[in-house]
Amino acid sequence: MVTTGALLGLSAILFGIGLVGFLSRRNIILMLVSLEIMLNAVNVNFAAFGHHLLEERGQILALFVIAVAAAEAAIGLGLVIALARNRPDVRIEHLTELKW
Amino acid sequence: MGTLAGQAAFYYLAAASIASAALAVTRSNPIHSMLWVLALFLHVAGIFVLVGAQFLAAVQVIVYAGAILVFYLFFVMLLDLPSETAARRFGAHWPLAAAAGAVFAFLLMRWYQPGLATPTPAATVDAAPMPHVAAVGMLLFTEFALPFEVVSLVLLVAILGAVVVARRKTAS
Repeated sequence: MVTTGALLGLSAILFGIGLVGFLSRRNIILMLVSLEIMLNAVNVNFAAFGHHLLEERGQILALFVIAVAAAEAAIGLGLVIALARNRPDVRIEHLTELKW
Repeated sequence: MGTLAGQAAFYYLAAASIASAALAVTRSNPIHSMLWVLALFLHVAGIFVLVGAQFLAAVQVIVYAGAILVFYLFFVMLLDLPSETAARRFGAHWPLAAAAGAVFAFLLMRWYQPGLATPTPAATVDAAPMPHVAAVGMLLFTEFALPFEVVSLVLLVAILGAVVVARRKTAS
């Protein structure tokens, strides 16, 4: 059936795409979405090892990752709303007030 | 499911996932990005079904595609979209991001182990085999009961935090 090596490769490629997206996009919402892509890659990794070891605990860890992703979405988008109230848009290079 | 059909399904799902992830991080219109991420989530749910994680697949479709992604779409539509579409989509630091991706790909190829191939057969199956979702639920409410409760606390803190952060300051 599906080999674990192929699943891990898929997971790594998805994580890499999410990493590049997170580092290169300018829109904060799309940075958060790239973070969700990375978390999905991690879930694929958990499911792959659960499949490999014939073990349900990997799935349970992936469930916890999904719960944390939901919390992260709520907090992150709350921050975006708080930022967008004071600024015309939500681009990352307009957030320069902590720099000097 | 036959082995060949399973393999074909896996390669389709993997290729579609990678393609939709790549499109999601490169489209200039945020709504298009979101829709490609939706395609990615559904294909990853298919991969979960293929590796026997049916409950995880259902949670992926319901929570990720159904709740989190709709939440993101809602926010994109709440904010100013036309200026986003017209603006440059990548920051000036994108060569740094590409370098990080290249380093990651190098490390991946350096330590990738294709030898990790065959799922080991169940060596010690002493109890009667349980239906799959029932086994997940049994683990979740016995061994993982405390982390399960802690997750409820995490979600509560996230709700309160989102309200506190996004609340409009009243003049008091």
